[in-house]
Amino acid sequence: MIHTAELTKSYDGVEALRGVSLDVEQGTVLGLLGHNGAGKTTLVNILSTLLPPSGGSATVAGHDVVRESREVRGRIGLTGQFASVDEKLSGLDNLVLIGRLLGASRRQARVRAEELLSAFDLSKAAHRQCRTYSGGMRRRLDLAASLVGRPQVLFLDEPSTGLDPASRISLWETVEALVADGTTVLLTTQYLEEAERLADSVAVLSEGTVVAAGTPTELKARVGERTAHLSVTRREDVSRAATALRRAGLSAVENPGEGTVSVPVVAFADLAHVVRAVDEGGVAVAGLTLSEPSLDDVYLSLARKSTAMPAV
Amino acid sequence: MAVMSPVDPAADAKAASRSAHWRPAGALTQFSVFAERSLRTLIADRRLIVLMLAQPLILLVIFSQVFGSLAHPSRFPVGVNYIDYLMPAILITSGIAAAVGSGSELIRDMDNGVLTRFRTLPVGLHWVLVARAVTDVLRTAVQTALLLVCAALFFGFTPKGGVLGVCAAFLLALVVITSLTWVFIALGAWLRSARIMQSISGLTLFPLMFASSAYVPVDSLPAWLRAVALVNPVSYAVDATRALALDWPVGGEVASALATSFLVMTVAVVAAVRGFRRPPTR
Repeated sequence: MIHTAELTKSYDGVEALRGVSLDVEQGTVLGLLGHNGAGKTTLVNILSTLLPPSGGSATVAGHDVVRESREVRGRIGLTGQFASVDEKLSGLDNLVLIGRLLGASRRQARVRAEELLSAFDLSKAAHRQCRTYSGGMRRRLDLAASLVGRPQVLFLDEPSTGLDPASRISLWETVEALVADGTTVLLTTQYLEEAERLADSVAVLSEGTVVAAGTPTELKARVGERTAHLSVTRREDVSRAATALRRAGLSAVENPGEGTVSVPVVAFADLAHVVRAVDEGGVAVAGLTLSEPSLDDVYLSLARKSTAMPAV
Repeated sequence: MAVMSPVDPAADAKAASRSAHWRPAGALTQFSVFAERSLRTLIADRRLIVLMLAQPLILLVIFSQVFGSLAHPSRFPVGVNYIDYLMPAILITSGIAAAVGSGSELIRDMDNGVLTRFRTLPVGLHWVLVARAVTDVLRTAVQTALLLVCAALFFGFTPKGGVLGVCAAFLLALVVITSLTWVFIALGAWLRSARIMQSISGLTLFPLMFASSAYVPVDSLPAWLRAVALVNPVSYAVDATRALALDWPVGGEVASALATSFLVMTVAVVAAVRGFRRPPTR
């Protein structure tokens, strides 16, 4: 559904994209990870026909984004970091407007608008100016606006930014339902958690190129392990705990200053080993936390690897 | 990067079109949707409507009472009272201010996220501009019509050209205003900066209005100002409008005012559409 081949984009002397080639099959979600300035938004803007590429090519829903942009536009929806609805109009008016521009009659547009407003829990605010909506409501309206035409391809550019956890989960559920229905989604995000939940495959963008691609699990496996942090009640027990862990065959890093011991773990089952080992060693445990590899870990690891192996 | 699936645009297109359920809107629909949007945002704020109608009225009062009470300059046409002299000029000058406003409004609209969304819809972007031009000129037309009525009722506006002459003047003024509106829309579409637009309008608005035959006969201006007024297109537009309203002998002024307006409008429309179509800066 989305295919890019050596896509490049430079403006103002900045090379935003340097040869990006991606493929997204129909009915799947591609998560695009990257820090600010990596080129995620530029890529989304090119694929949604907002910007022309400097080189390379891209087709979305079977049409070239440059030569057949009108056809592309009829089949996509876009939700951006900046909610693009008309603040001076009401939520209902906004959705009806978009529906009519997509070719619906006034009545059809209104039916579709009311359907979406109810699905996104905005019916009560439907007649108020968008200016009066809260941030979360505006995001929901923006998402609704991108869905008016039942797009084949949906671009979500950092959709969770500024959303509270409950709204975030609600958003994820909505996206999952759309994908189950056959929609293809390209999602950019800075949250590894979001990519893990929604994405069938992930690509990591850094300085305009794709430095890694694969399933979320593959990516995290490449990066490193989870780490269990055990905190002991008494500082002196740190070395005792470490000894007990090593005796059980686990590797342990002592942090006497913080009163913790760090243990790399691969599976959750390992946690049980950790607790049992320490317990058998007779050490009083104050707490246990598990840290996941973060996006920073992903980048650091990939940056190191990419200098070592130029052909990624 | 590895290709994850065979690339087959034709299959994709077929899969995509199977569910595209509406056919994209035609030109007229697009125009009316955008026009409705402009009008609706206009009407949305009641206070704006009052201001819209009050502003030209206030200007009329100021100009007629302040300037009208001055002793007539020596070169003032005989037998014409000031309000009759002034009104046709006001038709044009209030249009200039409105045209500048159009450009500024366009820039503000471009900062409005919804325009980004329009760029991702299968619509012709130029209709956004056309809708803006039409609704803005319509608004100005309503304002100036109201002005004329008030002037006739309360300020002793009794032009020799009668209703017919005034209507002709009104229509000519609308053509001039439309072409000016497109000029500022084009400026807005290219500059895209509210601050630059403000500077330009600040620099050009007053010279355009005052260094012209709008408020006093050109001959009574000091020599250097007269030189500016003689190259100021506003002077010619005002002369033509005035001639129609006051039933003065009309030479080629009306024809040349129309021709120039259409020429300027054509260039401005092309420039505006080109400027507007350029992608957003991000």
